[in-house]
Amino acid sequence: MNEEAPSICEEKNYNMLFRKLYAPVTKYMYYKCGDLQQAEDIVQNVFIKLWELCATISFYKAKSYIYKSCNNSFINSIQHKKVVLKYQSNINEHTDYESPEYLIEVAEFRTKLVKAVGALTLKEREVFLLSRIEKKTYSEIAEITGITVKAVERRMSKSLLSLRDMLGKEIKL
Amino acid sequence: MDKYYTDKTFLARWVAKELTEEERSEFEKTDAYRYFDILNKEALLLEGPTIDTELALKNVQSQLHSGKSMRMKRRIWRYGIAACFAVAIAFVGYLNTSKTYSTGNGEKQTILLSDGSVVYLNANSSLSRNRIFWSDHRQVALQGEAYFEITKGIDFEVKTTKGTITVLGTRFNVHDRSNFEISCYEGRIRFKTALDTNQTTILNKGMLLTLEQDKIQTKIFEGEIPTWRAERSKFKDQPLSKVLIELENQYQIKFQSNNVNTGRLYTGEFVHNNLKMALEATLTPMGIKYSSPDQPIIILSN
Repeated sequence: MNEEAPSICEEKNYNMLFRKLYAPVTKYMYYKCGDLQQAEDIVQNVFIKLWELCATISFYKAKSYIYKSCNNSFINSIQHKKVVLKYQSNINEHTDYESPEYLIEVAEFRTKLVKAVGALTLKEREVFLLSRIEKKTYSEIAEITGITVKAVERRMSKSLLSLRDMLGKEIKL
Repeated sequence: MDKYYTDKTFLARWVAKELTEEERSEFEKTDAYRYFDILNKEALLLEGPTIDTELALKNVQSQLHSGKSMRMKRRIWRYGIAACFAVAIAFVGYLNTSKTYSTGNGEKQTILLSDGSVVYLNANSSLSRNRIFWSDHRQVALQGEAYFEITKGIDFEVKTTKGTITVLGTRFNVHDRSNFEISCYEGRIRFKTALDTNQTTILNKGMLLTLEQDKIQTKIFEGEIPTWRAERSKFKDQPLSKVLIELENQYQIKFQSNNVNTGRLYTGEFVHNNLKMALEATLTPMGIKYSSPDQPIIILSN
């Protein structure tokens, strides 16, 4: 090895990885399971495991290791449960000279949208939210979820169609 | 059947802005597009959870030092609460995506839009606009006549029955009734007819566009504001029938023209706030007699 990879066993490197990856991975897990506390538990446990195995995992492979372990851990614990995403909504309102009735309508629509997103299948939802909220590209999503870009695009299209089916009646053009 | 149902990645490519120009413009013409557009724009407003990385790091470090591994906590009761909530808020109302302002005969209305633009709506006209995403999508649809004072910003679009007007920030009047006229009072506007989307006409300050038999003509005019804003209607060599329609728009009256020839040309103006003077100024010079203006129906005779 001409240049030695940083070791995860060094606290400085470990903390750096943690700060860089913890939030995005936790969000991803949250989009899957719909419970922030549970998402945090899963990710923190994986990071604890990472510390224990620090000597055997290369610094550069840590990212994919973490995503994969979190996924596995999620599958092991709750895959059997049909989970509906309880989505935390804190949408920022933009100011508009609108009637209170209309603001209520918008708020109601957004609540329904959040519910509809929660009711998407897990496969559709994770792709949809990674793309729309985390603004990730399809190839980044493909890397995280471990499917092909084409499959990501198919899921994205399907999730939009499902949302339209669920919410189309709520929108008056 | 539409394209996006058969092509399984069409919508995905659309939200990622990967469609070809042709695909995109075709899709934007469909009704389905408007639904998907709203869904997508609203989805982009969603936010992810806030995550305290430092707190989590401290937590993990303390676990590492104590040597115990964490237990998974189960919170099944949370779902119970969420489900109750869902029942309570379901099916309350629709989301109306547009808002319409209308005026009847003899009415005028001033509309202040949220971006600071002002629209003065003439009698017997209506203006509707998108209610959501107003900040990044300034678009209104007009029927009848209105005068616009647009604040500077992103493109502002006015859809009319004859085509679309695009502006950045300016003052102009649109008259879309039996005849079609756009007058530009400040700045510069662009007009695209509904018939041929490749044809655009640019109007500068002091230019007037008319559309007759689908032919666009431009002329120069003078004046600082449309005459109707000064409570007047002005005509130059216009058939009497148009004058009568405009009188009906501005006052709560109807004409019964019988055998009076309404094809004769009229030049002059009438005021909007005094029916007696308006009739005097329009019908008397044409040698037309009329019944009492106090009745809702005015009968004309030679």
